[in-house]
Amino acid sequence: MTKPTFDEFLSEELSKAKQQDGLPKPQQPLWQGIDKAINAHNDAVRNTTPKSTGVWRQVSAIAAATCIGMCVMYFSMSTPEQNNMLQMSQYFEQQKQLMLVQYSSQPALTNDWQVQLQELEEAEQAIKLALENDAQNAALLQMLAQVYQQQLDLIERVHQPRWQEI
Amino acid sequence: MLVDAVHPFDELDELVKRTQQGDQAAFSALYEQCHRRVYALCLRLLADQAHAEDACQEVFVQLWHKITQFDGKSKFTTWLHSVTSNIAISYLRKHKNWLQKVVSFENSGMDEAGIALCGDLNGLDKLILKLPERARLVFVLHGVEGYRHEEIAEMLNMAVGSSKSQYHRAKKLLQEWYEND
Repeated sequence: MTKPTFDEFLSEELSKAKQQDGLPKPQQPLWQGIDKAINAHNDAVRNTTPKSTGVWRQVSAIAAATCIGMCVMYFSMSTPEQNNMLQMSQYFEQQKQLMLVQYSSQPALTNDWQVQLQELEEAEQAIKLALENDAQNAALLQMLAQVYQQQLDLIERVHQPRWQEI
Repeated sequence: MLVDAVHPFDELDELVKRTQQGDQAAFSALYEQCHRRVYALCLRLLADQAHAEDACQEVFVQLWHKITQFDGKSKFTTWLHSVTSNIAISYLRKHKNWLQKVVSFENSGMDEAGIALCGDLNGLDKLILKLPERARLVFVLHGVEGYRHEEIAEMLNMAVGSSKSQYHRAKKLLQEWYEND
């Protein structure tokens, strides 16, 4: 049997793409997380009265978003050569401090997250040391960026649980 | 649009009405009927199984809060797909790591190992997930979901011409992969 042409394949597959039977399924049950998120929200609405901390959180979130936006614009306009370790570190430190301030009044999900953060900070220092001798090393810069990202992910993850994990 | 033989539209409409009145059991049934459509669209747009599951949950949480905004002027499934597309696109923006935002590079598509983790996928879905990000988004929105390039340009914050060229890029890549398979 001959293979259908690409157009025939595309036409047939696109019609199948809209039928329930051919659709991919999530690999794990999602309803429980949705149900908990909805009920947690309903409970919070019932129990919460306006508090000044809520206003503070909103203000700090807006300030963080504005600052991050400005940094992103600044870096987007820079040439790649200008995106060196110093600028990357300054940008990261700003984001990290903003997140730490934003989450300062919120309990963390684990007790040892600061230990994990410290380990990542040690890795950051080791990479920075190596970069002092080879400032344009792309692999080292990439590693530094990954360690920075891991720190931000950690801070976010311990303060904002995914619904699946509630 | 999407016709579901097991759950006809009148039953879906009834569930929507009951959910709008705050009936959580109806909303659970609505989820059962629609979650695969929502998940499939999230997976096609995000090309990441875990992110698609997260975004699918986000869609239904937001749906619970916003379903009263559905005015019945369009089919519920059309409205749901529009809500899903918008949430998946903002999810994609939100979860770009800061380095991607700074140096603005395009994510490549999913690799074979990632595709294998997604379970049973049809032939086109396997190829869609391999597409680079911009080409994939435009192909899914235009080719699969039927949005016009003008609408896509607005949704993705790109020029209409870019949307058209990304669509052709996607088709060319899909054809190449299909013919070499």
